[in-house]
Amino acid sequence: MEQDDLIITAAQAQLELSAEEEGRLAAAVTEMLDYFSKMSEVDVDNLAPTTHALVTDNALRTDTPNQNNNQKELVDRAPDNENNFIVIPNVL
Amino acid sequence: MAEYETFIGLEIHIQLLTETKIFCGCKSKFGDEPNSNVCPVCLGYPGVLPALNEEAVRLSYIVCRAMNCRLSENAMFERKNYFYPDLTKNYQITQFSNPFGRGGAFEYESGDEIKKINFHEIHLEEDAGKMIHQGGKSLCDYNRAGTCLLEIVTEPEFKTGQEAEDFLQAFRRTVRHLGVCDGNMEEGSLRCDANISINTPGMGLGRKVEVKNLNSSRFVKKALGYERKRQEKVISSGGIIVQETRLWDEDRSVTRSMRSKEQAHDYRYFPEPDLPPFRPDKNFFAMIENSLVELPLTRRQRLVECLKLTPDQADYICEEKALADFFEKTVGLGADPQLSVKWLMGNAAKELNRTGFQKADLGSEGCPLSAERLTELLMMLADNKIHGKIAAKTLTAVFDENKNPAAIIKENGWENAADDGDLKVIVQKILDENPKAVEQIKGGDEKPRGFIVGKVMAATKGTANPQSVQSLIMKLTS
Ligand SMILES: [Zn+2]
Repeated sequence: MEQDDLIITAAQAQLELSAEEEGRLAAAVTEMLDYFSKMSEVDVDNLAPTTHALVTDNALRTDTPNQNNNQKELVDRAPDNENNFIVIPNVL
Repeated sequence: MAEYETFIGLEIHIQLLTETKIFCGCKSKFGDEPNSNVCPVCLGYPGVLPALNEEAVRLSYIVCRAMNCRLSENAMFERKNYFYPDLTKNYQITQFSNPFGRGGAFEYESGDEIKKINFHEIHLEEDAGKMIHQGGKSLCDYNRAGTCLLEIVTEPEFKTGQEAEDFLQAFRRTVRHLGVCDGNMEEGSLRCDANISINTPGMGLGRKVEVKNLNSSRFVKKALGYERKRQEKVISSGGIIVQETRLWDEDRSVTRSMRSKEQAHDYRYFPEPDLPPFRPDKNFFAMIENSLVELPLTRRQRLVECLKLTPDQADYICEEKALADFFEKTVGLGADPQLSVKWLMGNAAKELNRTGFQKADLGSEGCPLSAERLTELLMMLADNKIHGKIAAKTLTAVFDENKNPAAIIKENGWENAADDGDLKVIVQKILDENPKAVEQIKGGDEKPRGFIVGKVMAATKGTANPQSVQSLIMKLTS
């Protein structure tokens, strides 16, 4: 893998890499990609992609509110909360 | 400055009027306590399964159909991957390869012309949550996360900000008419982003800049006007337009660069494995056809042609579907179209305002003024059973007492002072009681006329038709 591609991929995954990590990962990721590149040898030219293992009928839900009263518990499970808000480090 | 050609496209997001969110049964409601309408699905807890809201699908197809799109028979959902805490899953479920609607076109009025805009596509997706950034913290509220959002993407065919604004207003009217969105830009249920590029004529699109934060239709024209001038200046001075996203700053009336990261986004779309494709059948498409209503522009033209409204009157009536329906109902019940429109634009509007109702409330159960009641009142007025001032008083009473106009008029004895015969007797009596005034009138002095009219009105408790009184005075003093 090219160094540039690695840096872009890391940025998209919101990862900060040190120069040492970049060097180490470039080699490791290249190895992983080589391993999977075996798959590109298969001829799929006339095949439609399989997007779902099981395609059943249209699975629709009626537009009726459900009653769940566990909002407080769900918010409490976040690392930090305040006045019902989930609190995270400033991302702006 | 017609040196350059301008290309403007709009991306409009509308929140659909569903009860619940797109993939879970949480309420879709604006203004509740933070995180009160959340569940494991819309908070992105592991192991949950989304289930598509059928009403969201129905409303989406109605919009696609009304915009004359090609409707998908095999619609897909995809994951759009990005890391930002306004969605907890690290991806947004949206439509990419097979959206509900593609192509399509819409006619709207701009100036005195009917113009046409083509659409690129219309797709359904989940909305993101809201964040408040303060100090070292960001506060996250996921009530809006997972609500039903329909995105309408136009082709970059608007030539001016004015056209874009005119289209946006017509579009807003239309989605309100269709009953799919309340169109409230302040609350964000209708949001608009634009892209704009300029180029030497004949050279095609230029490098496009996205303009965000256009949360009022007024901002659209201003922001695009500013941005076009900015780009002209850059190019004229030999510069190059940077492809970027800019924010409209309403306070300073400028667009500002958002300085986003250099590399283009790569959302790595892939099919959402948890949602099967949506494959509507014939019945579904028939149901969509049946859900269509006449669109505002067509309706407006019909009201002008068939009911002889002036263009301004028709604009006013067609602004709200409820008002247009109400108006047409009064006409159907026998009210004179001109009389009805005048009262709807005048006294009825005043009364609605006074009592805290909206025009959209007309015809709804809670509103005291029904089409039947207004028609009853207007027909009494047209038949000369009451005169204008009494009709206005009666309308006020309809709102205050929630009763039929005929009953109110009867209870108060507000019918026109009987027929002309009775009125003649009264006028004659007043004239007899005021010989000096009669003398002056006969001598050509107009002033005592008003005095006599006043006396007659008092004697009839205001029910006499002032015009009839005038003509009787004329007749009896000549
Ligand atoms: Zn939910």
